[in-house]
Amino acid sequence: MKSTQYSEKVLDHFRNPRNVGTLEGDDVAWGEVGNPVCGDLMKMYIQVEDDTIADIKFQTFGCGSAIATSSMITEMAKGKTLDEALKITRQDVADELEGLPPIKMHCSNLAADALQEAIKNYRDQKKGKVPLPVIQKATGPVKELVGEKEFLGKGVYHSVDDFSPFQDKRVMVVDRGPKSLEIALELTKHTGRVIVVTPGKAFSSVDSDLAKGIKQSDIKIIYESEPLEVRGSDEVEKVLVHDLDEDEEYELFVDAIIILK
Amino acid sequence: MGIAMSSYIDYQSAKPVDPRVIEAMLPYFHERFGNPSSLHGEGDEATKVLEGCRRTISGFINAEPDEIIFTSGATESNNLALIGYASRNKAKGNHLIISEVEHISIHNIAKYLEKNGFVVSRLPVDQYGKVSLQKLASRITPETILISIGYASNEIGTIQPIAEIGRLARERGIAFHSDAVAAEGLIPLDVTRDTIDLLTFSSNDIYGPQGVGVLYVRKGMRLNPLIIGGGQERGVRSGTENIAGIVGMSTAVEIMGREMEGEVKRLAQYRDKLIKAILERIPKSHLNGHPIDRLANNAHFRFEAIEGESLLLSLKDAGVSAATGSACSSKTLEPSHTLISTGLLHEEAHGSLEFTFGRFNQEADVDKVIEVLPPIVERLRKLSPLYKEEVPA
Repeated sequence: MKSTQYSEKVLDHFRNPRNVGTLEGDDVAWGEVGNPVCGDLMKMYIQVEDDTIADIKFQTFGCGSAIATSSMITEMAKGKTLDEALKITRQDVADELEGLPPIKMHCSNLAADALQEAIKNYRDQKKGKVPLPVIQKATGPVKELVGEKEFLGKGVYHSVDDFSPFQDKRVMVVDRGPKSLEIALELTKHTGRVIVVTPGKAFSSVDSDLAKGIKQSDIKIIYESEPLEVRGSDEVEKVLVHDLDEDEEYELFVDAIIILK
Repeated sequence: MGIAMSSYIDYQSAKPVDPRVIEAMLPYFHERFGNPSSLHGEGDEATKVLEGCRRTISGFINAEPDEIIFTSGATESNNLALIGYASRNKAKGNHLIISEVEHISIHNIAKYLEKNGFVVSRLPVDQYGKVSLQKLASRITPETILISIGYASNEIGTIQPIAEIGRLARERGIAFHSDAVAAEGLIPLDVTRDTIDLLTFSSNDIYGPQGVGVLYVRKGMRLNPLIIGGGQERGVRSGTENIAGIVGMSTAVEIMGREMEGEVKRLAQYRDKLIKAILERIPKSHLNGHPIDRLANNAHFRFEAIEGESLLLSLKDAGVSAATGSACSSKTLEPSHTLISTGLLHEEAHGSLEFTFGRFNQEADVDKVIEVLPPIVERLRKLSPLYKEEVPA
């Protein structure tokens, strides 16, 4: 079965998704599952009255089945008590949609997980539990990357005076405060591919103009991540990146990396 | 929905057979069915037809007729080139060089060779998917026996500096193979000018039938056969010749020889019109591949915060057939290795969309995409939790 051979009901929910959006208020909680790296990210919002889901909304980045399952579960959960809603399984959602292609059963059928996460968060909020702090910035001395010394001058830069070597190159800038972000912004005049890697969910800089400038530019920002290793043959070709949120490592092809000292 | 109803803009995946080709092939299924190996009138005629086709096809790439080996298609040609050459010449060395942006068949053949004692270097590419000659030169060792670099990327359309690579390989005494499937019919191929030793090309990619291909083997190159039998194709590729298919391929070559120049001009106009309109009309959209050195029929985009399979499904509803490098539409659930090699993050590769124009497209197809795509992207972004985050505060 091809991945895109969906049932009519899946296609209907994909074409006309129900309950799209976000919710706000004291009785609202939300759950998030997935990861853009895998191609699916789902946010499920619930508004609870008398232990019952009075309203529910979602936002999804992903393939046809990711969108359809999100939409489907909002219809199934609305009006249910929290305990009833917790019992909805991935299989229930797939059955209600008249089946999903086997390859999609695992990767793009996360709506039940997102709903359960939202319910859990709601109950935690009611118990007065404070959510764990999300920003876990590295406070200790900055670790040196594997290969950083070896490739110094061969694609690794500890300072930037001259922007000409970066002309048309893929440049990764490690967020080391406002100076590094200024360099990133300046680089966009010399190349179309600038990537900023930052360990937090936001930049190190508190300068809002600078942060705004970066968000409006074509700079690709990788949040909650840190570079671990520089790789290449005789000059920098790849950087091994650690996704702190998912605790996953992946290689990214770049030509240069700027790590201010 | 047939081709007449929808706008098919995925010629990279498959092309229809030109009706003129089908007509030329028909007699060879029933009336002119002879086997070239037979010693009678029917056999003699088949030999004559086969050798005529060989001449036509060799002329298309500026080769000699006896340098053409017929195969079952490009995948077999790639296997014969890499495995056939490496196994025959392993006394000279055990090292091969390919690029990161090769077709999946080359990547998997390279893995197979690695399991069998060979060492393979994978040349990185720049942000447009182009290999660097300097990097290629630095990877060459005394053990290097073969360099295999595709003429152009079948995905992002970037054209490689083939003549320069050919010169470098020749200077260093290393055999040079190029898979030209993505480029054939869009760029004039010339194995003599480009000093290519082994060249893969297929029939279907120039509107001939599927199941036929060619490996050009320069005189003096020695290959081990992969298919052993009655010794056809100078012993390099046994099996009774697929005469109808070969006639089809030869006819496709003749038509391409006459029409290519005009066709390429027309397709390049479609491509340029589409690229300009999409980048202008859709915010946070980008072109993948090289801005100038790209195939005349290829327009490859990525859109932030949305996913490719959703795009394809929506386009299908709107009557447009295209392709994506997203993991969600692949068998392996991995995004396109080509896009990753150009330095894209997985989430960026997921939002890619590829249009490849071909012979039966018309300007109306371009206009249709320009009309339907912007609202599709807008709708999917409204559903996406990522797009909000992209909006400047």
